[in-house]
Amino acid sequence: MRKSLTALASALLLSSVAVAQKVEFEEYTLDNGLHVVLHQDKSAPVVVTSVMYHVGAKDENPERTGFAHFFEHLLFEGTENIERGEWFKLVTSNGGHNNANTSDDRTYYYEVFPSNNLELAIWMESDRLLQPIINQIGVDTQNEVVKEEKRLRVDNSPYGNWITEVKKNLFKKHPYRWAPIGSMDHLDAATLDEFQAFNKKFYVPNNAVLVIAGDIEFAKTKDLIQKYFGVIKKGAAVPRVNIQEDPITKTIHATAEDANIQIPMYITAYRTPSMKTRDARVLDMISSYLSGGKSSPMQKKIVDEKKMALQLFAFNYAQEDYGMYLIAGLPMGDTTREALQKEIDAEITKLQTELISDRDYQKLQNDFENRYVSQNSDLEGLAENLASNYLLYGDINLINEEIEIYRSITREEIRDVAKKYLQSNSRLLLDYVPAKEDSAK
Amino acid sequence: MKKILLFASALLLTVSAEAQIKRPQPQPGPMPTVNVQKPQEFTLKNGLKVMVVEDHKLPRVSYMLTIDTPPYAEGAKAGVSSLTSAVVGNGTAKTSKEKFNDEIDFLGASVNFWNTGASASGLSKYSSRLLELMAEGSLSPLFSQEEFDKSKQQAIEGLKADEKSVSSVAGRVTNALLFGTNHPNGEFVTEQTLNNVTLADVKQNYTSYFVPETAYLVVVGDVKFKDVKKQVEKLFKDWKKASAPVAKYAEPNDVAKTQVDFVDMPNAVQSEISLVNTVNLKLTDKDYFAGLIANQILGGGGEGRLFLNLREAHGWTYGAYSSLGSGKYTSKFTSSASVRNVVTDSAVVEFVNELQKIRTQPVTQAELDLAKAKYIGNFVMEIQKPGTIASFALRTKTQSLPADFYENYIKNIQAVTVADVQRVANKFFKKDNQRIVIVGKGSDVAGTLDRLGYPVNYYDRFANPVEKPVFKKAAPAGVTSATVIENHVKAIGGEKKLKEVKSLSVVSKGSMQGMELTMTQKQTNKGQSMMVINGMGMDLMKQVVTPTMGYASMQGQREDLKGDALKDAQASAKMFDELEDLKNAASFQLTGIENFNGEEAYVLKKDKETVYYSVASGLKIAASETMEAQGQTIEMTSTYSDYKEVKGIKVAHTSSLPLAPGMSVEFKVSEVKVNEGVTDADFK
Repeated sequence: MRKSLTALASALLLSSVAVAQKVEFEEYTLDNGLHVVLHQDKSAPVVVTSVMYHVGAKDENPERTGFAHFFEHLLFEGTENIERGEWFKLVTSNGGHNNANTSDDRTYYYEVFPSNNLELAIWMESDRLLQPIINQIGVDTQNEVVKEEKRLRVDNSPYGNWITEVKKNLFKKHPYRWAPIGSMDHLDAATLDEFQAFNKKFYVPNNAVLVIAGDIEFAKTKDLIQKYFGVIKKGAAVPRVNIQEDPITKTIHATAEDANIQIPMYITAYRTPSMKTRDARVLDMISSYLSGGKSSPMQKKIVDEKKMALQLFAFNYAQEDYGMYLIAGLPMGDTTREALQKEIDAEITKLQTELISDRDYQKLQNDFENRYVSQNSDLEGLAENLASNYLLYGDINLINEEIEIYRSITREEIRDVAKKYLQSNSRLLLDYVPAKEDSAK
Repeated sequence: MKKILLFASALLLTVSAEAQIKRPQPQPGPMPTVNVQKPQEFTLKNGLKVMVVEDHKLPRVSYMLTIDTPPYAEGAKAGVSSLTSAVVGNGTAKTSKEKFNDEIDFLGASVNFWNTGASASGLSKYSSRLLELMAEGSLSPLFSQEEFDKSKQQAIEGLKADEKSVSSVAGRVTNALLFGTNHPNGEFVTEQTLNNVTLADVKQNYTSYFVPETAYLVVVGDVKFKDVKKQVEKLFKDWKKASAPVAKYAEPNDVAKTQVDFVDMPNAVQSEISLVNTVNLKLTDKDYFAGLIANQILGGGGEGRLFLNLREAHGWTYGAYSSLGSGKYTSKFTSSASVRNVVTDSAVVEFVNELQKIRTQPVTQAELDLAKAKYIGNFVMEIQKPGTIASFALRTKTQSLPADFYENYIKNIQAVTVADVQRVANKFFKKDNQRIVIVGKGSDVAGTLDRLGYPVNYYDRFANPVEKPVFKKAAPAGVTSATVIENHVKAIGGEKKLKEVKSLSVVSKGSMQGMELTMTQKQTNKGQSMMVINGMGMDLMKQVVTPTMGYASMQGQREDLKGDALKDAQASAKMFDELEDLKNAASFQLTGIENFNGEEAYVLKKDKETVYYSVASGLKIAASETMEAQGQTIEMTSTYSDYKEVKGIKVAHTSSLPLAPGMSVEFKVSEVKVNEGVTDADFK
């Protein structure tokens, strides 16, 4: 039975695959505005409990950058019921693990536990939202930790700063112009009152989605959610960033230095529309076409055949308000920026003027189908996808329907979107180069 | 007014939020039962062992071929195995590279090859084609000169790209020193060794090591065992039976006495610290489970002692961890962190303290329970996942584990005792025979290493010993402690002007914990000094010193200064320290020029005091003092900046003062009065 189904599916352009792995879920909203998504998977005794808050670096005061990421640290400092320093111990001593991360658009916290600790996870996440302890000891400790994180990931890390440099040059008004790690001076200058105000403004149930996925029973889980999250008061409506960038009409040239590198990185960057748009999906496909896999034009021609680059990659940096389309390469030997750029531009021009071949188109479809099957294969990834589809994309059903968007993108659209966004006069050319030797030592 | 020593803990007031809700911590439900599944298996005549885990949840499949090769050193041709990995899989004897790669990409699949294995994953509807591609790429690879030359060039460029990476240098040097550069774990690749490798070497490497005797193929996914078996038998039956050569090399020895090994990298903004010794710990050893638990307690994660100490208590690092290697070959025990330059020596002290503590004092039952819970929880969550079933089965074979190793896993973790942990800590965490490898910025760090009390050796980025480099600059000829002090006096107004100042009153504002602080300092040229810090309408701290008496009060509690404390306070009750210092400039030692917060500064030292004067402006930019507190040496540093002129003298308008260890408050001057606003009544 299964075999004949598979055969039929491939004949019908694979449309049955989506059915084969449909993600089932339930969703509802508490009176306080907290949105809840539940997904059951009993294949292993594991439960993932996560909360995504709709606050990221872009929601920060320009004089207080780094706040959103700082909170990702601060909110592990303890709550009224969980003493300072106990958070990680509680998780571990109950056999779980946990983490959090911050982007320009949102902050995400999660715990993974054996399924007998579902209630503990709900208690912890709800206490973090209801009554976190935000005091000077916590702020001072995390201030130092965040500085070390920046030294580790940015200042001491080869090519650690390139995305930040791109953002700085590509955005002039929108808060995407700074990076989530933010400014250490801003964090030093911030008072405790400011941290508390930030918490009050953004960490409210009506600005979050709770996802619980794994080995759960719906009725019992809903009771627990009501018991622990239900008591939290609704907050004021959260203002959203609404800042428009002026179009880029002339190539922006910029240079940035990095003391930790020996080989420059040449970056070509375009500002692109929100990840919610269809065009952003088309740009995903364009990246995959240009540099995905060894047989893509950039890998095959520029890296492999002409040996002009050590590495070359293109990707669509999808974000809520604007995206960035980035092409970056490390030149091989004495290849100049101009020579490398000429090759890259030739590939882009080709994409803008000719249709990709049927075979390349089919290859793209295979690639996206494989990604689609893989991206929800692990429970932690699935929980995060459910959260961001709801909170950022505004359509939770994308968890099952996203593949349909990619399937419906045509070769003509790929050409037209390349023409529309990858224009040579509306881009940033950034030379990310080794810092000159420090003569003072 | 140098010595401001407040005990800030009295000021650490928590701002309380709205009414809190007490909710007891929920108790866990019954532990889920676990059931250790085994894959279906078969073995080919040539030795290849195949393990299949059917998993029909998603329409995908993954294949992983692993050849369990004993480690070997590559010597002068270091890099031959990585070049072999780069060359294999780019086309085969039958299919051109272009066609081969194009088909893999077309299937939306991922297929990779390396010198001791291969992997393929993708949609299960392509499962048989994927296995064919993997078999073809593995068993009849194309060795083209062109591909080889390109790979070598890329490898050389890759080394260059990493040359300034502090963490890669740290990794290379640590292993080279610990294992020795003739050991497989200690040798490293350089441009020169890459240039020694030829295409013939790569072919030889493949022929010797890509053999089925100790090869394992693990299949997980939406496939049927009988289909896989049929296909594997067909595709791999001609893989010629052979076993890989076993290399002999000397076992590395740990150092007889703990030492510091330092590598200077001027671009470092953090020091990479690793405390390492070698370890031989097989999974079948009776100490294996106790080793896991001891390491977990010491530095296994966010609740390990190292993390709680170095990150949570001190804020010195983003993370501090330890790892205890295990397996059938020699590995290492490492405690490591990346810390900011100025705390490098303090961090080493804490690492050593933690190692000492876990070796000499029993861990608490709570710590032991927590560590066990982590391992058991992870095991329970992982054991039923298809990928885990496969990887556990593979490890059972490669590590020669008893068949019931994973059945007994929870029981063996539970059996570890407090005494076991201490015993294995002494066995594996060799505090007295470690190398403390530090890669960092010498001018910031190296001067502090000598006081750790270990011999300090210096190495270059390739683990070659070097003479101790000169990290700080000597002061130019003609500059002495006297000229530096004179220059500062001149810069703030000159001796004549300063001597005309009879009194000084400075009001500054700062904040701590969101609480506004106002600091008022009044001084006269008669040895009177008063300082008061006011917050929330109260005098939080006050200190008064006159030639006849002195007292300090904290939130109204007054304590008279007596004896040496009073003498010290009276000696430092001066408006302009440097006027006094001028008279005995020779008692200061000018140690040279150092970089202080990005500014070149002359460094003067006297007893426990260090003062920094800007080379450019002559102004004092910082002063620090080392003190003993709770058995630790700590450094309290005040910084001064934003000098502005008031009635002909320059006063620092921004200063950062250490109110407690690790806690500085920045004060900005709001009012300065010279020769006015001060009366004897202020010093009562």
